[in-house]
Amino acid sequence: MIAVLPVSADTTVPVDIHDLDYDRFLEEVHSFEFWFEAVSGYLTGLTWGHRPGLVDRPRTPEERERLVTVLCNYCVGEAAALEGASGLVAIAPNRLAKVFLATQVVDEGRHLEIFYHRLRDLGVDDPESEVERRASRSLLLFRRRLLELVTSKDWEAAIFAQNVILESLEFAVFASHAKDADPITADLLQGVIRDERRHMGFGENELGRRLAAAPHIRSRLGQTKKELDHLVLDALEETTRLIGLPRDEHERLGRLYLGSVERLGFS
Amino acid sequence: MSDFLSAYSIQNWLESCPQGYLEGTEFGHLPGETEPELLLENEILRQDAIATTVQMVVGERCALAASSGLINAAPDEGSRRYLATQTLDEARHVEIFTQRLHDLGIRKDQLEDTIGQYVNPNLVRFAEVLLEKVDRKDFVSGVVGQNLVLEGMAFSVFELMHALSAELNPKFGRTLAGTIADERRHVGFGENRIGSLLKQHPEKKPEIERMQKEMSYFMLATFADSFRHNQSQAEMDRIGQERGHAAYQGVDLGELSPEQMEGVLADTVLKEFKTRLGRIGVEYQTPVRP
Repeated sequence: MIAVLPVSADTTVPVDIHDLDYDRFLEEVHSFEFWFEAVSGYLTGLTWGHRPGLVDRPRTPEERERLVTVLCNYCVGEAAALEGASGLVAIAPNRLAKVFLATQVVDEGRHLEIFYHRLRDLGVDDPESEVERRASRSLLLFRRRLLELVTSKDWEAAIFAQNVILESLEFAVFASHAKDADPITADLLQGVIRDERRHMGFGENELGRRLAAAPHIRSRLGQTKKELDHLVLDALEETTRLIGLPRDEHERLGRLYLGSVERLGFS
Repeated sequence: MSDFLSAYSIQNWLESCPQGYLEGTEFGHLPGETEPELLLENEILRQDAIATTVQMVVGERCALAASSGLINAAPDEGSRRYLATQTLDEARHVEIFTQRLHDLGIRKDQLEDTIGQYVNPNLVRFAEVLLEKVDRKDFVSGVVGQNLVLEGMAFSVFELMHALSAELNPKFGRTLAGTIADERRHVGFGENRIGSLLKQHPEKKPEIERMQKEMSYFMLATFADSFRHNQSQAEMDRIGQERGHAAYQGVDLGELSPEQMEGVLADTVLKEFKTRLGRIGVEYQTPVRP
């Protein structure tokens, strides 16, 4: 990514942020300014997360039912992410991490808002109670466990659960769903995916550095992964069935999710 | 309530704030704008600017902790999503005021020590009173403390500083203008949301009134320390720098001593508290004057 960074008071030159020294790189990518530049590129002109004027695809009542359930469960995941990210602001170890998480808080709030809005588009009058009614048990358990990690102020485990496990699951599912979704749902998923990529990047970077500096953290995180894996894989199975994805795609998503945690050395 | 909250949606926030009055800014001001040379070259003026900015960073750090901490205490989804926008607003304020410290010559490795050196202990106590409510997940008290007391104070302080800076320091003036626009939204949410919640929980009023009185005392003590120890005006007079004559609350700031300015600001903030608390049905408690 090319960003224009001020070099001196009266001149600016384009600089590739990856050419910056590591501290300056972190300072840059964890800033409001960076978020502002990033989202301006893909959110400007969107209304409720999609381009205005898109025409919805006709669907049977059964297809509508399935889409409503899928979106309700996306809301459960995003609500967990909003609660998790906001709780993490308090325990973040430094200002840059706090500012980054504040950008993530508003991203998660936006995701929740556009999914709610999409549910209303589909004729759901009271999305809050509909989400409660259709929520997957596995996702609710995941949400509860994530908040326990945040409340216990376990920074590494909470970031792992939130920015690696949950965001990887969402990234994999949303990317697959967007390929075959109706134009409006696909459009809003594309914007969400771009945010998720940034959140995963933060999680991997933060934990990668910590694991390198304190390898003993690994066994604790391995335990967290073990505990959450079955909830994630259950939720994945349930959601891919509702979206109507073939079996091999479901297996591919499972591998994609496991691959993202493997990047941090967890198999 | 849902109609009122729709005005505080993230969609509206995106259109009015990042894609609205912040469009084209960099750390809250126009690219290329700098602090005035006079401020950077005169050590007394620079130290006073650093001391003032440290209080702003500390106040905004408290607001960031409070707004993010209140999300999980909010009773409805609309309030949670609104607080998500406020969390990012406050993080932006932390960032831009921290950047101002760097612009005033504070190196990154000096930041926390500088904050520790200059922070006013009364401001820390003010923050502690609020954050204790947030830690207990007391949404009603937390929002009154955050969105009416803290934000109400910040709003008036920033307006005064904006009046003082607009002419002499356009960079800082612009930074403050964007912050004031944010604070106005935060105060509006507080008034609108809490009024209805207090009708459901009238038993919360005595606790809220005690909190307001306590926070107001620490706020006045912070003002007293800041104005009475501020040397900028005397230094400006000493070097023959002409005073600006900006108007604030109907008075010419160029004609006032620091103590008189403190009096105008304190009276303004307390009057605003009284009006805003009255709107939500809370009886304003007069604090002890330090």
